[in-house]
Amino acid sequence: MPKKFTRREVAVAITTSAALLAQTPSPLPQNGDEELKAVRDQLAQSAQQLAKFDLPMATEPAAHFKA
Amino acid sequence: MASIPDEIFFASITEINQKLKAKEFSTVELTKAFCDRLERIGPGYNALALSLREQAVRAAKDVDGDIKRERFRGPLQGVPFGAKDLLAYEKQPTTWGARPYAGQVFDYSATALKKLFKNGGILTGKLAMVELAGGPSYRYAAASMTGPGLNPWDRTRWSGGSSSGSGIAVAAGLVTYALGSETSGSILTPSSFCGITGLRPTYGLVSRHGAMALSWTLDKIGPMCRSAEDCGLVLHEIAGSDSEDPASAGKSFYYAPTFARDLKELRVGFATVDFDEWAEPAARPDFAKALATIRSLGVQVTEAKLPDFPYGPVIGTIVSAEGSAIFEPLIQSGKVNELADQKQIAGLKAGLEIPAKDYLKAMRIRSLIQRAFRDLLADVDVLLAPSRLAPAPKITQPLDRPASDRQLPKDRGLTALIPAANLAGLPALSLPCGFADGMPIAIQLVGRPFSENTLLSIGKAFQQQTDWHKRRPQIR
Repeated sequence: MPKKFTRREVAVAITTSAALLAQTPSPLPQNGDEELKAVRDQLAQSAQQLAKFDLPMATEPAAHFKA
Repeated sequence: MASIPDEIFFASITEINQKLKAKEFSTVELTKAFCDRLERIGPGYNALALSLREQAVRAAKDVDGDIKRERFRGPLQGVPFGAKDLLAYEKQPTTWGARPYAGQVFDYSATALKKLFKNGGILTGKLAMVELAGGPSYRYAAASMTGPGLNPWDRTRWSGGSSSGSGIAVAAGLVTYALGSETSGSILTPSSFCGITGLRPTYGLVSRHGAMALSWTLDKIGPMCRSAEDCGLVLHEIAGSDSEDPASAGKSFYYAPTFARDLKELRVGFATVDFDEWAEPAARPDFAKALATIRSLGVQVTEAKLPDFPYGPVIGTIVSAEGSAIFEPLIQSGKVNELADQKQIAGLKAGLEIPAKDYLKAMRIRSLIQRAFRDLLADVDVLLAPSRLAPAPKITQPLDRPASDRQLPKDRGLTALIPAANLAGLPALSLPCGFADGMPIAIQLVGRPFSENTLLSIGKAFQQQTDWHKRRPQIR
């Protein structure tokens, strides 16, 4: 007799598959155009992460590097 | 003519200098023997960019004259060394590891080299590197006009980069020490993978005049040696103010480990999760022993956590924006397409498109990172973590893909210490601490700005308790 899944088990299975899919690295670019697109996508992701970071308005760029 | 015993190729700076003073062999004899070895073995590991035999022998004759007249110039006098091919050496090719610059010649030498020459250092060769110091990023170890750096412990593995030739040459006994450079990891990584001791100085302590720029606000020049002691001796000579480097901190460095603080007073912060969960399983036993050795030195060991910042996007944006601005003529001319690594070519092109607001946002977050590290390093004196979590990968492995599919912990520990500490301009020392799968592994110590003597004193004490830094690969 086929096993019946609870809604909780189904939810866990879906979430886990989504997480695994998200962890799977994208295939390697095959040519220069694909490389450029991949790098642009990466930079766009970085920009999104930077944008999400809240900064006090008074924060100036790190222009002094004399540690 | 005295023959040079094999152990001299792996001797310390002080041992070699003492033997030269005792006239066990001449500087010319020593230099010729090192040049023979560098030319014979270096190319087989893709470590050599340019042999400087003629210039080295000429300099060695001068040193012999000085020693004869008892003009002693310090411990580096007469000791052969190599330099990453990112440093200009007058009237000789300086390729930056990249085909578009294969014919490049400068009419001056880098400040760091001039300081070593003044003290009788003998430059025997320019050492291979990842093209353009790897900026902004690259996918394969083969991203160099000399091919992938082959690890002296196993030729099928990578040497690490971007100071690949420097790591190989020191580990294989082709030079006594080498100069490398780090923007984010380029001294620590090859030091760890090749089983040598590497020191990344505080930003601004060593002049970058005459060095290829990849990122004005991140680049550092530092020593790669076989011991902490040797790193201290080299840093002592190359550090110092230089009006030719706008980022020069105007500070000197005096190597004085005996005057550093008592180790019992030092608080060392680490994250258990780095050693127990993030590290590759094969590396954990020797990492655990290294942690125990550090504890046995008498330092106070405590858990530490890195401040929560998006270190990857911050450093990636800064290196991409600055690197692409620096290499804009290369990119616009189309010669960028002559580079070996397709990802690097794309990265340089795309970096020109980064909006000013993103670069400035990254630099503003960086201000907060620097402040957060000041607070963190008020609680602990030194941070301790694995230099790299795993030994050197295979040379064919894509470097931007995970090496294994094992489950990683949620707690990030100090795993972002390389980009984080580079963003904060902090010094670091990488110390060999064992082996995993037959390949070297290492720990890193990170301290406050200009605390190199503290790091070196811990490093020296660690290396008095262990012999990992004395292990030699089988060189054929």
